[in-house]
Formats: sequence, structure tokens, C-alpha cells
Amino acid sequence: MSIKKFIESVISSLNLEEFEIKGKKKSIKRLLEKLELRKSILNKTTKKNLTKKEKKELKEELAIITLQIKKGNKLLDELNTKNSKNIQTKKDK
Amino acid sequence: MMTHNHFRSFFAPIIILLIVGALFLLGLYPNLSIILGGIALFLIGMEYMESGFKSFSGGLLENLLEKFTNTTPKAISMGFLATAIVQSSSLISIIIISFLSAGLISLTSAVGVIFGSNLGTTATAWLVSVFGLKIKISLYAMPMIIMGIIIPLFLKSNAWKGIASIFIGLGVIFLGIGYMKEGFETLKAGLDLAQYAMEGYAGIFVYVLVGSVATVVIQSSSATMAIIITALATGQIDYANALALAIGANVGTTVTAVLGALKSNENGKRLAVAHFIFNIITGLIAIIFIYQLTELVDYLAVIVGIAVDNFAMKLALFHTIFNLIGVLAVTPFITILVKYLNTIFIPKGINKGKPKYLDNSALVLPSTALSSIIMETKHLYENAFDIITHGLNLKKKNVLSTMDLDEVILDLHTHKTIDIDDFYNHWIKGLYGEIIDFSTKAQENMPPEYIEELYKLKLANRDIVDAVKGTKHLQKNMIKYTSGRNEHIKAQYDDIRKGLAELLRNIDTIAKTDEEDIIILLLSKAKIHVERYDIITNGTLDKLIRKGLITNQMATSLMNDSNYAHSISKNLITMAEILFIDIKSDLKKMHEELSMNEEEVNLLIKEQK
Repeated sequence: MSIKKFIESVISSLNLEEFEIKGKKKSIKRLLEKLELRKSILNKTTKKNLTKKEKKELKEELAIITLQIKKGNKLLDELNTKNSKNIQTKKDK
Repeated sequence: MMTHNHFRSFFAPIIILLIVGALFLLGLYPNLSIILGGIALFLIGMEYMESGFKSFSGGLLENLLEKFTNTTPKAISMGFLATAIVQSSSLISIIIISFLSAGLISLTSAVGVIFGSNLGTTATAWLVSVFGLKIKISLYAMPMIIMGIIIPLFLKSNAWKGIASIFIGLGVIFLGIGYMKEGFETLKAGLDLAQYAMEGYAGIFVYVLVGSVATVVIQSSSATMAIIITALATGQIDYANALALAIGANVGTTVTAVLGALKSNENGKRLAVAHFIFNIITGLIAIIFIYQLTELVDYLAVIVGIAVDNFAMKLALFHTIFNLIGVLAVTPFITILVKYLNTIFIPKGINKGKPKYLDNSALVLPSTALSSIIMETKHLYENAFDIITHGLNLKKKNVLSTMDLDEVILDLHTHKTIDIDDFYNHWIKGLYGEIIDFSTKAQENMPPEYIEELYKLKLANRDIVDAVKGTKHLQKNMIKYTSGRNEHIKAQYDDIRKGLAELLRNIDTIAKTDEEDIIILLLSKAKIHVERYDIITNGTLDKLIRKGLITNQMATSLMNDSNYAHSISKNLITMAEILFIDIKSDLKKMHEELSMNEEEVNLLIKEQK
């Protein structure tokens, strides 16, 4: 058995593949939390005192953050599906 | 200062004389050849072990040394453990010098590792005294060598080859010890070295000197320790003199380190000085307190269960104790030592266009080579940043401040034209060439995943160079129209300047922050703002021409220069995505998936309208 195959079998037997997915999921969740917090701060900003330029910037930031949150959630769903598929394949075996 | 070549020419006749002398002695005492053969085998074994660990660890050793050396105690412990396991302080030194050159660790951590490594070398004495002297060569050494030869015939990966080398190394080391032991035992019949035993401080100084000279000649304190222990075990030398010889081996190793550092870079030289100071202080402490230390060894030997007459193991204990005392004595002054080290070997005439991090010592490992290229690319970007801001007639300090961008573009850098070509030739061209040259050399020893990163870095370098070239093209009309009378064309060029100033400021923030949300937000913003330069699609150009606000010639210039601004921005954004998102960060793993594509950018622009 080559070292590569040996490492692969160790990764598989110790469930390290899922560990990698879990790590990625954790990172995305952390990023999503930060983005949500930023979004709520921006939403709470009183627009009355802002200049036209500042209002435009605020609107732009909100649009970007909303899009990134959407993308982050989509990525998270994909990882969850991948994870549950992995578990199912192992059960079938 | 004497160069390495001078040293070589100075030592060459001495070495020839020593070889002739050795051959003469071998003629007189044939048994000496067995001892010398044993030493040679021991050294060959160490070489095999060193190269074996290098291939086997596959980056693990480097990762551990990089990650767990952020505090002095951790650095000392890692230096100790790594050297004790690998059995080679020179391998650890090479790795640490390459880390320093690549900016992966601080000088304080590097000095800590070197101190710990010194303590780690004492493991050799234990290996020789505990296993080496008792081991049956036919039972262990030979099978190890045979295994080491057979393994690579069937298992071709680098890791297995590394394991095979370690087997051969260990086997040959034991074989060497066996020959040394046999040589000393046979020699005793004809020549009893014990008759030259000397007592008192005179004896200590003489034997310290002998130990030092032996280490300088053999170039390995571990080999000297192996000789001392085998000679002691066979009764060829007196225990008290063996202790002095061990101190001498430690002192002698500093000469080896200093000689080795002559061909090294300034980091290597600084570490050699630290090593020298450490070993001299440790040696002095050991000489001054040799009698007290001997008593301490006797006391501790009883506690750990070493027999009273097992002088070989007692010597190993002595070697460990006095090195440990050295670590304890010198470590509290590590900050002062590092302060001093930072004042020496400073390269004269630092040139912005010369590489700061591309040192050949970093080529030893893929991780350090890659890190050096990242650091140097950042250096290239720093130079490019200066040129671009000058080219846009902006003040660097304003761009990097929180000053309103409308004010930033009003505060001009100069009223003269800046020769970007001249700056490009001095600060960019040569440095870029050096980075590409270094990358080509580094690529030879890199695994595929590193090559992929290296390829991206090469692209980042090209993006930086293209951005500078783009600024050069942009500059010509920018000067003309920003100082002209037509307010409309001036406003357009000022908008380009403002946009690029904003981008440079955002990239600077990205480079300095660890907050992933800020990085993502700023990169997304930058991608949206780039589209402001598409003046045909957004109708700006059409409006200006239709209303007769600018001439046809101005329109053509604006169209071309907007394209340049667009390219510069794209280049800088792509570069920032590669260079300023830490390779090891979580964001690097998910950035490609979260990065905004063109469709999303256009959607957001539409939404804003």
C-alpha cells in the first residue's frame, strides 16, 4: 500500500472528510454571523442625517451584504447536502 | 573581514597536513583506522538520517517549527524536541535560517529554537550511551541497513524513501559506534591513552582544547561525543577528562557554526553569533563549576538509577545538565541578545529595487520559498503603490489616511511631470525579474499544490507590473487635462484619480485586516466601482459629446484612458485577491465560491440605478 493510499484510508476511517466539511461550515457560519451583524447595524443607521453620497454608499453596502449572505447560505446548504450524502453512503456500505 | 574563500585557502594546507599525519599514524597504529572508519560511518549515518527526515516529514517538521515557536519557551521546546528526534542540529538550523529569510518567524523565536536545539543535541549522547554501546550490530544495525536498501525497491514514494534513509542512517550510526568501540578496545593493547590523563584545572583546559579541536576537524559535536563516550566506555580516557572533552565539543561546535555562517545570509550570521555567545557562556559556566556539576551528576545518577560505574551514561547526563544550565542562564537575556543581533550584519545601501526576501536559503523548503515569494511580491506592490500614487499625482499619506477622497485629489503630489519609466526601471523591472527567476528555481522542488499557488503569485506579479504600465499610459493625458481649462474633461479625469485612490486605500485596508467580512465587502465594492470606467455603456461619454462639452480628441483620449483605468483596477483587484488573502485563512478556502461574478456585479449596478 502506498503512503497516499494509507493516508486516504486513515482519513476515511477517522471520518476526517466530514471534519474538513465541518471546518468549512464553521468558517461560513462565522462569516455569516459577522455579515448579519453588519447588516443589522446598517439597517439601524438613521438615514435622515446622511448626505446623498452617504445614503448611496449605505444602499450599496446593504445590497452587497445581502447578496453575500444569500451566497453564504446557499454554500452552507450545499455543504449540508454533501455531508448528509456522505453519511448515507457510509450507512449503505 | 575574512571571507569564506580566505578561510578555505587558509585551512587547505592544514587539512592536507592532517591527512598526511593521519596516514602516517595509521601506518604506525593500524587499529586507529578502525576508529577513524567508525567515525566516518557515524558521520555518513547522520547524513542519511538528516536527508531521510527531510523527505519523510513532508512539511510536518516545518509546520511544527513555524506554528509552535511564537513564545520563547515554546521555541526552546520545539528546538529541543525537533533536534532530539531528527538528531541533526544542522538541519534545524537550515530550516530556521530559511524561516527567518522568508519572514515566517521572528529573530527571538529563531534564537530560542537554536538554544533548544543545542539541548536537543545531547540526545545523541544518550543514544550512544544507552543503545549504541550495548547493541549487537548483527542483530540491529545490519537488519536496519538491509531494510533501508529493500524498502525503496518496492515503495517508491518520497516518504518511504525518507523512512528507508532513516533506517540506513541509524544502522550505519550503530555500525560506526561498533567500529569505534572495537578500535578503542584493540588500541588499548598497544597504546593506552589513559596514561595521558591529567588532573586539576590544567587537565580541564587541555582536554577542553582537545575536544574543541576534534569537533572543528570532524565538524560534528555529535560525532565527537560518540568518540568520547566509546573511548570512556572502553577505559581509554579518564571520566574527569571526558567531562572536559564534552565541554570542548560544545565550544568547538561554535567554530563550525561560525565557519558555516560565513557563506550564509545576514540571518544565518546573526544566528551563528547567538549560537557562539550561547556556547561560550555555557562552556565557561561548565568549566568554572565543573566540580560542583560532577557532584550534581553523581547525585542525580543515583536518583535516576544509573550505576555508579556507568561513566558513559553519567557523561550523557553531565552533557544534558550543563546544556540545560546554559539555556536557563542565557534565556532571561534573550531580548537583550536579539536587540544586539538586530544591530549587526545590516546590509548597506538598501535599494527599493533590490529583493529583500529572496534568499537562496529559503529555497531549501517549498513553504519557505513560497513565503519568500509572497513577501517579495508584497514588496513589489509597495513599490508599485508609490509609483501609481505619484503617477496619479496623489500624496501617498493622503491615500492611506481617512481624508475625504475629494480632498485627496485636490492635494497634488507635485506640479512637475514624474518619469514613470525611470521609476519602473529602477523599482519594478529588476525586482520583477528576480521574483520570476527565484520562482523558477523554487518550482523545481515543489509539490503540485505549491506550484498552483506559485502560479497564482506569478499572475499577481504580472498584474502589478501591468498596473504600473497602465498608469504610465494614463499619466500623459491626465496631466494635460487636469491642468487644462475644460472643467468637464478635468472632472472626468479627477473621477478616474478618485476611483483609483479609493481602490488603493481599500487594498491597503484589505492587506491590514483579518476581518473576513470587511475583506469581502471591500473586494465586492471594488468590483462594482470598476464599472464606473465603462463610460460608453453608462452613457457618460455620449452625454458629454452630445452636449458639446468636450472635443472629439478629448473624447477619444477619455475613452482610451478609461480603458486603462479599468485595466489597472482589474489588475489590482485580482492581485489583492491572490496576495492579501492569507493562504492559510478560512477565507482563502471559500473565497472562490463567495467572490462576486460579473453577472452579480451588473445586477447590483442595475439595482442601484
